Amino acid sequence: MEALTLLSWGFDVTLGGTLMWLAWRTLASEDLFKGIVLFIAFGLLMALAWVRLDAPDIALAEAAIGAGLTGALLLAALAKLESGSKESQPLQESTITKAMVNKSDKQILFRLLLVILLSVFVAGLVYVVLSLPLQTIGLSETVAENLDASGVSNPVTAVLLNFRAYDTLLELAVLLLALLGIWSLRSPSERNESASGKVLDMLTRLLVPLLILVSGYLLWVGGHAPGGAFQAGSVLAAAGVLLLLTGWRPGVRFAGLALRFALVMGLAVFVIVAVVMVLLGGRLLEFPLSFAGNFILLIEAAATLSIGITLAALFFGTRPKPAQSSASREESGAQER
Amino acid sequence: MLMQNIPWLVMMIVLPLVGAMFCFLFPQRVKLLGLITALVIVVSVTALASQVVEQGALRYAVGGWGAPLGINLYVDGLSLLMLLVTALVGLAISVYSIAYFNQEKSQHFWPLWMLLWTALNALFLSADLFNLYVTLELLGLSAVALVALAGGANALGAAMRYLFVSLLGSLFYLLALALLYHSFATVDIAILAQRIEATPAVWAAMALMTAGLLLKTALFPLHFWLPPAHANAPAPVSALLSALVVKASFYILLRLWLEVFPLPNAALVQFLGLLGSGAVLWGGVQALRQTRLKMLIAYSTVAQLGYLFIAFPLATSMAWKGALYLLISHALAKSSMFLAAGNLQLFGGHDRITHLDRVAQRLPLTLAAFALAGVSIMGLPPSGGFVGKWLLLDAALRTGQWWWAVILILGSLLAAAYIFKVIGHAFTQAEVPHEEGEVSRMMEWVAFVLALAAIVLGLIASWPLALMDIGTPFNSGVAQ
Amino acid sequence: MNIAFFYALTGIGLFTLGLYALIKHKHLLRKILAINVMGSGVLLVLVALAARTQNTPDPVPHAMVITGIVVAISATALALALMLRLCETSGRAELPDEPME
Repeated sequence: MEALTLLSWGFDVTLGGTLMWLAWRTLASEDLFKGIVLFIAFGLLMALAWVRLDAPDIALAEAAIGAGLTGALLLAALAKLESGSKESQPLQESTITKAMVNKSDKQILFRLLLVILLSVFVAGLVYVVLSLPLQTIGLSETVAENLDASGVSNPVTAVLLNFRAYDTLLELAVLLLALLGIWSLRSPSERNESASGKVLDMLTRLLVPLLILVSGYLLWVGGHAPGGAFQAGSVLAAAGVLLLLTGWRPGVRFAGLALRFALVMGLAVFVIVAVVMVLLGGRLLEFPLSFAGNFILLIEAAATLSIGITLAALFFGTRPKPAQSSASREESGAQER
Repeated sequence: MLMQNIPWLVMMIVLPLVGAMFCFLFPQRVKLLGLITALVIVVSVTALASQVVEQGALRYAVGGWGAPLGINLYVDGLSLLMLLVTALVGLAISVYSIAYFNQEKSQHFWPLWMLLWTALNALFLSADLFNLYVTLELLGLSAVALVALAGGANALGAAMRYLFVSLLGSLFYLLALALLYHSFATVDIAILAQRIEATPAVWAAMALMTAGLLLKTALFPLHFWLPPAHANAPAPVSALLSALVVKASFYILLRLWLEVFPLPNAALVQFLGLLGSGAVLWGGVQALRQTRLKMLIAYSTVAQLGYLFIAFPLATSMAWKGALYLLISHALAKSSMFLAAGNLQLFGGHDRITHLDRVAQRLPLTLAAFALAGVSIMGLPPSGGFVGKWLLLDAALRTGQWWWAVILILGSLLAAAYIFKVIGHAFTQAEVPHEEGEVSRMMEWVAFVLALAAIVLGLIASWPLALMDIGTPFNSGVAQ
Repeated sequence: MNIAFFYALTGIGLFTLGLYALIKHKHLLRKILAINVMGSGVLLVLVALAARTQNTPDPVPHAMVITGIVVAISATALALALMLRLCETSGRAELPDEPME
């Protein structure tokens, strides 16, 4: 048994060390593209760390959202940044600054001060963390006691979608808010379908149905095993990102009200279920024992769809231009005057 | 009666959220939907107020679980007051924005604004630290998006800086939360208040949370992000930011210090008071130096926020109430000022103070609004600002900490200086008179009514002060 | 010290590393990467300390962290879009100089 514990210790120490190293290389890398790729690797190793800490739900979410989708967002932003800068604004640390070998003394002093302060900071935090008790129960027993009443048997899903469902509701609002913020920055874009390579096309044809299946599975299994709406939604978003990369765009008819409905649906279903319970005399988000499981599945299903579409829309960046209905044509005509 | 059975607590959060979704779904009708939502929220807060006045502080277990397993909502006099001010200023901003934004900008503004309102209401009602974190993020992201609505490099740069500051503050807060949860196995404020002990983890959590929240509240010297953000945002957004958003993190700080962190820390509270004094003086001096009206008003916010922290070393019930009175008067007066500045900017096409060009004659209502709001900011009677400052002065003299009184008076003098600077220029004639932009009557009246409300607060002081006592949040003051 | 504490310390290291990078670097994309690393650090602390239980770990921090991951990507997406827009209008992917104090 000694060897096994030693081995597992060795694995964890290596993992932790690699995480730190990757983070350092990501942030200190000269080339931004390399930095982002290292960040994606960092995310995948984080997923491994979550597994080591007995948190498979988080591992799924980290791999899909933290590493995958965030990485895609970063790469897309870098590409737009590079194509946008026509002048000589280089995107790596500019050669001009690299050539400024003689940093001003003030800067060096500032850096030194910062390093000293942060070292004190780290030392303090390390001391504080090590002063915490070795063993603790936390809320795990409380959750276990109430798990039967929650309607699902996966404790993390029970917390997310029942005990602390209110947080999840607000979180869906945050996701929608991010999209609204991004859309408010630019005017809607015209449909521009770009052609893509044959390999990507074929891969997409294979992967997208598979991803949709996996997403459905993750949604279903989240009730009693690691999984759930966020994991399922992010896999769905990955399918959406693939489609967008091949140049597919949603039909013009669907880019208006239908798209908005789909985006809002998760939050809307959540709010409706919550309010319905209030109208029936219970508390906000109080699920009746017999139906709790069904309500949770309903909310998760709607949420999966919305999360998937929202994340894919976040990747796309601009709002697709809806078909000009006669009402909106009048509006834009009036605006031009 | 039906009114008593509806959980108005819940409606306060659900209504703006539903409003946001409707505004997003039906952009054609956005202004109407937004206004209806604002009116319904005002009705809802009045109903909640009558419920609280009758029944005292209320605790609501979302999902029926109750803390520590579930999330609790809590409303007492303090949170009710914040909700009331938010509703009043929110309604005013809503009416103003109908006239201010064109149709295209409105379609973006209204869903974002409704989500901001949701965040504010949810924040003021929450009694759970992690729930507060989520509301803080909702608040921060919507505020940033609203600042960026103005377009242009200045606003976008200010929004970007604001976003980083907001995220940094939230991360400090979250780290502190991790330490607290893993010490006491709960994030509920009431339960934490019972279980708290003076361990190193708690000290660290207190320092981290305070730092994060101070960053979000822009207390000197962490205020650097505020003037560009508040000055370059569209006028109604500036009003929202100075009046409400910046107060939300202060509210959380206040709650934590009153309930969770009453640890013996005399030096720390004096330090907070010191930073507050720095804000009052530095903000006032900087306001005097500004050439742009909105930057002046933004620095005035920096100064006014400093007063709130002078209550920390004083720590008597009257001192807290004084600070809160200043908070709500400032919300009304500052939003009025920013809306007036918005009117002036639309009118003249710019906001340079020295070129205000006989605004006194051409936009008298707007100038009257600015002047009245200035009365409250200066702390002259009769106004809400005077009542707040008087309470703080009284507390300072009673506890023998007379040096804070000096700061209060100096602050008022500085405020008088920069307010009169603006008003003086409003009577002069610019060298090059320019085209008049259009400013709707409605926009002028909204600014005026808000300023009037700040004055009225000085006349009816007993009622808000009594309201603050519901639930006795100030009994467990910071231990000396 | 068991493995939970080791990961918690790693989390603190990540947080501090990210903080240093956030302050030091000027380029907006680097700052965004730094914030993400900091966020990962905090979440690691949250979950690592939850593994101190005997059998199954405490699920409440797990739920909090999933929420945290979603919030992080929302913030990152908004930050990236803002950065692109700022770069278009001002020509540089850096924060504008601080206003005169």
